[in-house]
Order: sequence, then structure tokens, then C-alpha cells
Amino acid sequence: MVDLLFIGLSLLAIGGALAMIVYANPMYSALGVLISMLSVAGIFALLNATFLFMVQIIVYAGAIMTLILFILMFLNIREEDLPNEPNKFKLIALGAVIMIPLNVLVLKAVAKLPSKDMLLVNSDFGDIGPIGMVLYNNWLVAFELVSILLLVALIGAVVLAKKRTRRVKHVGEVS
Amino acid sequence: MISLTSLAFVSMALFSIGAIGVISRRNIFVIYMSLEMMLNGINLFLVTFARYHFNMDPQVITIMVIAIAAAEAAIFLSVIILLFRSKKSLDTDVFTTLTQGEKS
Repeated sequence: MVDLLFIGLSLLAIGGALAMIVYANPMYSALGVLISMLSVAGIFALLNATFLFMVQIIVYAGAIMTLILFILMFLNIREEDLPNEPNKFKLIALGAVIMIPLNVLVLKAVAKLPSKDMLLVNSDFGDIGPIGMVLYNNWLVAFELVSILLLVALIGAVVLAKKRTRRVKHVGEVS
Repeated sequence: MISLTSLAFVSMALFSIGAIGVISRRNIFVIYMSLEMMLNGINLFLVTFARYHFNMDPQVITIMVIAIAAAEAAIFLSVIILLFRSKKSLDTDVFTTLTQGEKS
């Protein structure tokens, strides 16, 4: 049962990623990425990472992809705004030729490791409590740096948005 | 079936598809989503090895990666809006104002 679930989620994840690079319309690409993110969240749940399962759904699927879809609809992109990509599939084949040796290398290295049972266990591994303990004991400096980074991103987004409104106001004064 | 090698295959497939998307597409939205897909593949790899070694440090690193992706999303999408307003295009070949060539 768990195996079937894992196979289905993996196929959905890889299929969504393939839909992202094949479709020309960015809206279909965004929906493919959404499917892929939700499937990866399911694989997180199969790997006992319950807190990350929630974070993946809330932050990735709920916040980032919704923001991307919102901006795609907000910009109102027409067909002639899209870049024409005549040799897209040639470049995809070239990229596959570049990336396949790296995959073979990593998979050979991983296959050499001793195999362990990766099934679900009934413990508090990956729960929010133990993760909080590890986060605030071992990773406190990184946590503070990430909070500063989020503050800087907030200020940067406000500055970028402010420049646009000033230009609009200037055009309004001229006319 | 749910073994270390199959999980590593799925995560490497996601990472590779993201990298192929970055080098083959010209739509700037698709390039951004490919970057997100590469981060997703690396997250899956980290969580796989967290389960393999029964250690919770990789899951904390994954939380950091997700926070950085959220910060990146805010900046990247506002820059995309500014670029689209000034050039009316999503083609990465149009955004060449800072290069040194004779193209204006």
C-alpha cells in the first residue's frame, strides 16, 4: 500500500516537472509545478517528516505558487508577449545529455550505501517539538540570519514597489 | 520499493528537470519555477537522508531552504513585474540593457 502510494506520488512529481518545461503557456507550467510540490509534500509525509509536510503545503503550495499564479493573472499575459522558442526541444535534449552523467554518478554513489528500512515508524521523529529543540539548540545562528534575510527581502520588495508608484505619479503630473 | 535509491532517483530527476528548464527555456517565469524545482529536489534529498540516518539536522536545513525560497520569491516576482512593465515582454533575450554589446 505504501509502495503504491510512493510510486504514484513519484510519477505525479516527475510528471508535473515535465509539464513545467514542456508547456509554452506559463499558466500550465505553474499548475504542473503545483502538482509536483504537493506530491513532494506527500513523499515527505511518507518519510516521517510530518512538520515539513505541513510547511511544504502551506509555504510552497499555499504561498509561493499562489503568488506566482496571482502575478501571472495580474500581468494579463497575451500570446504575443510570450517568447517564441523554436528550438526548445533541441535544447531540452542537450540539457538531458548534460545532466544524465551527473545523475548516474550520484545514483551509483547512493546505491553503494548499505540499505536500511525506510518505512514509517511510530515515534516522534520529525514532529514539531523535536524539530524545534534541534532548531533552537544547534541552529540558532542560522535561524537568526534567516530572520534578518526575510526582513531584508521585505524591505527590498517595498523599495521596488515604491519606485513604480513614484513614476506613475510623475506621469500623472505631466498629463 | 520505497528504498534509498528510488528516493534518490526521484529527487535527482526533479533537480535535473529544473536544471534543464533553466538552460532550455527563455520565458522568465518558467526559469523561476525551474529554480524552485531544483530547490525542491534538494529538499527531497535532504529529507531522504534525514530518514536514512534518523537524524533531524537535515530537516532543519530544509526549513532554512524553504524560508530562503520564500524571500527569493518576493524579490524575484517584484523584479519580474518591473521588467514586464518596462519592456512588455517575458523573453530573457530582451533584458540585455546591462550588456556591453552594440545592441541598445
